[in-house]
Amino acid sequence: MKKLVVQKVSRRYGTVQALDGVSLTIEAGQVHALMGENGAGKSTLIRLLAGLERPDDGSIGLNGDTLLEADPAVMRQAGLRFIHQELHSIPGLSIAENMHLDHPYPTRLGLVDWKALSHAASQALERLDLAHLNPRATMTDLGLGDQMLVRIAATLISSEGAEPWLYVMDEPTAALTAQEADRLFAVIHELTKQGAGVLYVSHRMPEVMRMADCVTVLRDGHHISSRNLSDTNARTVIEDMTGRDLRHLFPPKSAIDPAAPAVLKVRDLEARPIRRANVDLQAGEILGVAGLAGSGRGELLRALIGAIPVQGGQILLDDKPAENTVAESWANGFAYVPRERRTEGLMLRRSISENIALPHLTDLARASIFLDQNRQRGLADKMGKDVLIKATSVKQQCNELSGGNQQKVLFGRALAGQPKVLLLDEPTRGVDIGAKFELYRLIKEMSDNGLAVIIASSDLPELLGLSHRIAIMRDGELAEITETDGLTEADLLARFYHQSAPQVAA
Amino acid sequence: MIFFIQRFGGLIGMVAVIAFFAISLPDTFLTVRNWLNIAQQISMLTVVAATMTVVMVMGDFDLSVGSMASLAGVVAASLFLQDWSIAGALAMALMVGLAGGLFNGFIVSVLGVLPFVATLATLTIFSGLAFFISDGRTIFGRDIPEAFGNFARSGPEIGTVAERALVLPNLVIVAFVVVFAVWVVLEQTSYGRRLYAIGGNREASKLAGIKVVQLRLTAFAFTGVGAAFAGLMYASRVASANPTQGDGLMLTAIAAVFLGMTLTRDGQPRVLATLAGVVVLGVLDNGLTQMRVDSYVREILVGAIILAAVGLSAIGKGSLLRGLR
Repeated sequence: MKKLVVQKVSRRYGTVQALDGVSLTIEAGQVHALMGENGAGKSTLIRLLAGLERPDDGSIGLNGDTLLEADPAVMRQAGLRFIHQELHSIPGLSIAENMHLDHPYPTRLGLVDWKALSHAASQALERLDLAHLNPRATMTDLGLGDQMLVRIAATLISSEGAEPWLYVMDEPTAALTAQEADRLFAVIHELTKQGAGVLYVSHRMPEVMRMADCVTVLRDGHHISSRNLSDTNARTVIEDMTGRDLRHLFPPKSAIDPAAPAVLKVRDLEARPIRRANVDLQAGEILGVAGLAGSGRGELLRALIGAIPVQGGQILLDDKPAENTVAESWANGFAYVPRERRTEGLMLRRSISENIALPHLTDLARASIFLDQNRQRGLADKMGKDVLIKATSVKQQCNELSGGNQQKVLFGRALAGQPKVLLLDEPTRGVDIGAKFELYRLIKEMSDNGLAVIIASSDLPELLGLSHRIAIMRDGELAEITETDGLTEADLLARFYHQSAPQVAA
Repeated sequence: MIFFIQRFGGLIGMVAVIAFFAISLPDTFLTVRNWLNIAQQISMLTVVAATMTVVMVMGDFDLSVGSMASLAGVVAASLFLQDWSIAGALAMALMVGLAGGLFNGFIVSVLGVLPFVATLATLTIFSGLAFFISDGRTIFGRDIPEAFGNFARSGPEIGTVAERALVLPNLVIVAFVVVFAVWVVLEQTSYGRRLYAIGGNREASKLAGIKVVQLRLTAFAFTGVGAAFAGLMYASRVASANPTQGDGLMLTAIAAVFLGMTLTRDGQPRVLATLAGVVVLGVLDNGLTQMRVDSYVREILVGAIILAAVGLSAIGKGSLLRGLR
């Protein structure tokens, strides 16, 4: 029986110890779940297995032989295959051609042998019971789920090199609908039946409980536990995952006056993919938005800031209908911190002050026309102090800053216009714990000063620790709003699935 | 409805253009002689656009093709002046095209300069070289071997109409051969399929072990040779060479590929679609000329039609009307 043994591997990036002496053993024929919160070290471990990086310490071995080289080709030769959540497929080419991206095309007389190409593809698809997929159809016609299945089937096309026996799947269901995920599970079952092993990386409890044979939990780069699923339960695993004492990470919540009028009223909002949302928000209140990936968490915020056209319903700010373009939303008192700070947020090669001033240029300009560098810098200096940006000066380029400080620049931008409603999409993703702490203080301070805050996040402790109430999104619908007091992560997770109707592709 | 316009709008537009001219010019437009005429007129553009498709498949493009065409013509003509044989001069001119194309490929792919910037610079370089070699003059008359000039004017007879022989011009045959060759390369070899993969998702291609740098570099060679080839066809047709005669080819060739892309399902460049694009442009030019539309107005109309075709197909793909989907 083939076996991959990871022994005491460590990996450090700068000052961050991403992995610290982690060991685990993955056997053929088994689904081995790897769980942990964001930043637990799952991705680092995958990069080591993929041969993209070398461990600082420790070893990775196959059947007793050590695989030392940090070389993707060696890992491939060892039979490892990686299925990433971001699918790398070529939309315009056929399924069969996509399956041959990393295999040579069969040829005859130097020309592509289309028949042999389709035949090889359909044979591989059949091995996984995917005969319903036509290898000649273009990839564009497939949903994300089927595209993933095609990628998996592609690994079965025989080529020189070792047969694949271990599949590493990184959050494979993150963008899939429920039915697509079911088809993926069937394929995983088929793979293990044929003797392959799967390292299944996820933080979704129900999937893991359903499929895995054993589960390893990482936390803050440490190996916490490896258990057979028959000896454990969801509760134990969640405790292992979240074990750190979170009481001090979050500032105490302030009470809100229940009689205070609502700043923001959302009435039957419809903005595809948001199907319906109703919520009232008071000054000083922090509302969390939770839900599975694809449930419309971030899209709700995008609809409120005007980045998705509204098809129906109303957004009322101080009882006045809010206009629906992004520019008008900023002017009316909304502020938005997008999820992808590098692509949606910052102009990375521009200075901190330019980044902060961006939505406020007209207000800062003389006679609303001529740019005033001094006023921009003055604003940036002030905001930089308020949000505790660590930089040499506000003239520093944003790509020289750490993730946490980049996020603070976006906070500075959002808060500079003295907004009434602050919209935060995954505000602490990829941010170190120290900056997280400061951002949480900042959010709490602003809300104490009367700012209404909406936070969409996949980080459950964060939602529970910060928000007064949590809105749960299901399939594009704001399904329920619940008080946070007394709520646990498990309760929240259960509500994600509760009454979850068959999902519609977002 | 929007889907329908996006998918078949280009095709409907093409049929409409042809129908319009057929009705407006009942006696002259839909005749074999006129279509042979159109075919000859567009043969150079066909070659440039077909080889341009090779790089556009990867999401790149080459602005230097027009000046490369001029340069190749000038190089051949200058070598005629030096009493080179026709074959030798043509081979040399094509070698210049190959070298220029590889040079473009090197800058774009190995050095990583954006194709727009890189080929804009080589456009200027090639153009300057053409002026330098020809001393800014047109080379014509007795300096050009008769056989070279005659090639474009002759061709096999394919019948007679009204007691005049119908000749299938050699240039048209050459253009067809080039289109067929490019079609084989792009659609029937793994080389071509890898180019499509690069255009579809460069990062994915790299991760799948496709040699992106080498493929991009070599693809530009096709465009360079194609441009030189078209330049020689042009020189043969007018039996002369001057340093600006190919310049008009570049924009029209890119326009033809874009027009073709509006016909394909995924909006990808394909060489047969490019051919259709070239034909539309040729038909427009021919029809509007026959209707005695002023040549300046003709340019405005052709530009507007290209814009309309590409614009319509962008609806539904583009962001502006995304909410209506």
